Amino acid sequence: MGERVKDLSVKNVEMVYQVPKGDPVHALHDVSFDLASGRLLTLLGPSGCGKTTLLNILAGFLAPTGGEVTLGGDMITGPGQERGMVFQQGALFEWLSVEKNIAFGPKMNRADKKQTKDKVEELLEIVGLAGFGDKQVYELSGGMQQRVALARCLANDPDVILMDEPLGALDALTREKMQGLILKLWKETGKTIILVTHSVEEALYLGDRLFVMAPRPGRIERDYELPFAEQGLDVEPRELKAAPEFGEKREEILSIIWEMEEEIMGRTEPV
Amino acid sequence: MAESFGAGVRDDETLEVADKVGRFSSWGLFNSGSDTRLTVAFGDSSAVRSLPLYSLLSLVAMIVFWFIATYAWGLPDEFKEPGLSDKLRIAACNSNDACEGSFSQFLGPLTFPSIRDTWNTFFLLIDEGFQNITLWAHTKASLWRVIRGMFFGTLFGVPIGFAMGLSSRARGFFDTIVESFRPVPPLALLPLFILIFGIGDTTAVRLLIFASIWIMIIAARSGVQEANLSKIRAAYSLGASKPQVLFRVLLPNALPQLFTGFRVALGVSWGTLVAAELVGTQDGLGSMIFAARPFFRLDVVVVGIIVIAVLGVFMDIVLRFLESKLIPWRGKG
Repeated sequence: MGERVKDLSVKNVEMVYQVPKGDPVHALHDVSFDLASGRLLTLLGPSGCGKTTLLNILAGFLAPTGGEVTLGGDMITGPGQERGMVFQQGALFEWLSVEKNIAFGPKMNRADKKQTKDKVEELLEIVGLAGFGDKQVYELSGGMQQRVALARCLANDPDVILMDEPLGALDALTREKMQGLILKLWKETGKTIILVTHSVEEALYLGDRLFVMAPRPGRIERDYELPFAEQGLDVEPRELKAAPEFGEKREEILSIIWEMEEEIMGRTEPV
Repeated sequence: MAESFGAGVRDDETLEVADKVGRFSSWGLFNSGSDTRLTVAFGDSSAVRSLPLYSLLSLVAMIVFWFIATYAWGLPDEFKEPGLSDKLRIAACNSNDACEGSFSQFLGPLTFPSIRDTWNTFFLLIDEGFQNITLWAHTKASLWRVIRGMFFGTLFGVPIGFAMGLSSRARGFFDTIVESFRPVPPLALLPLFILIFGIGDTTAVRLLIFASIWIMIIAARSGVQEANLSKIRAAYSLGASKPQVLFRVLLPNALPQLFTGFRVALGVSWGTLVAAELVGTQDGLGSMIFAARPFFRLDVVVVGIIVIAVLGVFMDIVLRFLESKLIPWRGKG
């Protein structure tokens, strides 16, 4: 799988929403970055900073009002199976069993049935759901459902996996376990992952690169290169998160976000 | 101290009842609540269920009331006065020979028919029928009409509803039609239907299509509209084409709404049936009731009413059972 080098390139992307009454909303302004294949990028920022908008543009659900996005040199003009997406929740198909959910992508592409079956078994093993194949998705817990969503996305063997707050609806313990799973998948498959999150800790722990985004207009405020994701599999997560370097970065990013929040509050309040 | 909470105390008997409810609930007959020992249950609707024992009680109460009303009290005396009822009966039967032979044997006093009269009439209707058409033939004719009405109502309604959920043009175009026809009771259109389509079986079926199609359109539309955007987007990301999104995501996703719409439409159709069968049909429960009315054959009317009620309940039970089998994810998504 390693030969396929598909770097992501985002150039001067603008996104302006026209509001029927009132001023147009500048969701993204002059966003540019290059992301090498096989990196894990986390997007962090206060609400309204355009991180989900950016993810939707990368997925091809939204067309930017300016600029261009390319993956391996090809323009992104719509959704495609080389860019898989994992949603926060509610995106699984309740009328299908776990197996059939995972096999949905290959089935839509009319892939060989035998191969698909083997692949589904393999993926169930990888995400830790071996033996759950014939269960119905509504019988599973929230964490297990997200495992199914990950497996379903991987079944199409995408180059980039986009995750929109994939762990946002999970409880703290399940969340930590799932963070471990995402790191493991990233290391084992070598896929590019872009993950939107609200949690500073999650962004630091998972991201091998991290953007802190700012609102009004939505833009990339800081671009960090982080060592923690690389260490993630060798060091105990608890130990890693308790390390002084991790704590320092967390405080630094938190203070940036707090400043932004205060700036927003200050603008809205007529002092 | 637990006793002072009142609502929290549950003796073995109520727990046993809850067990029985649990068994019924798998049939989709009764809502099953949780079996936890709540300290305060009042106002918590999840703790409220339809106890089968009490459902049985109300059925018995209805029968007892019927018994008392027809035997113990009957109707006011002037209706029982032989002269009047005889005159009425003669007047009624002079105009038609059909009731000549049999009616005096089982037609009771001109009151609301007693349970025994109705019971006897029921078997007489099964064996000999009313105006030479057996009860089973009437019932079959009615069911067949409802089935056809629902079939075509669904066949045309669902695609229109889907179009309204998927295309702004279709929504704009059909909105006016749906919103202006939906509030019109089918019965009000009966004279027009007779003028346009004439009298007969197909006109009745057309009226039933009219009764069900708007409900199916709205159910299908809301089924599409309420689809979670994440599901649609996930499907596109997984490489699904537009037809695949329609048939493999939108359609199964709308099944719960379609099923609810179907149940409502079936209830309305069944209710419209009697009116639909006014349109010059020879058979059917509705036409049986209307044919019996001028002859004061209230026993036949009551049998017709009971058969309609029992079949309505039966159909709903079958649909609920089908729903629990076909849409097991409902309410769990």
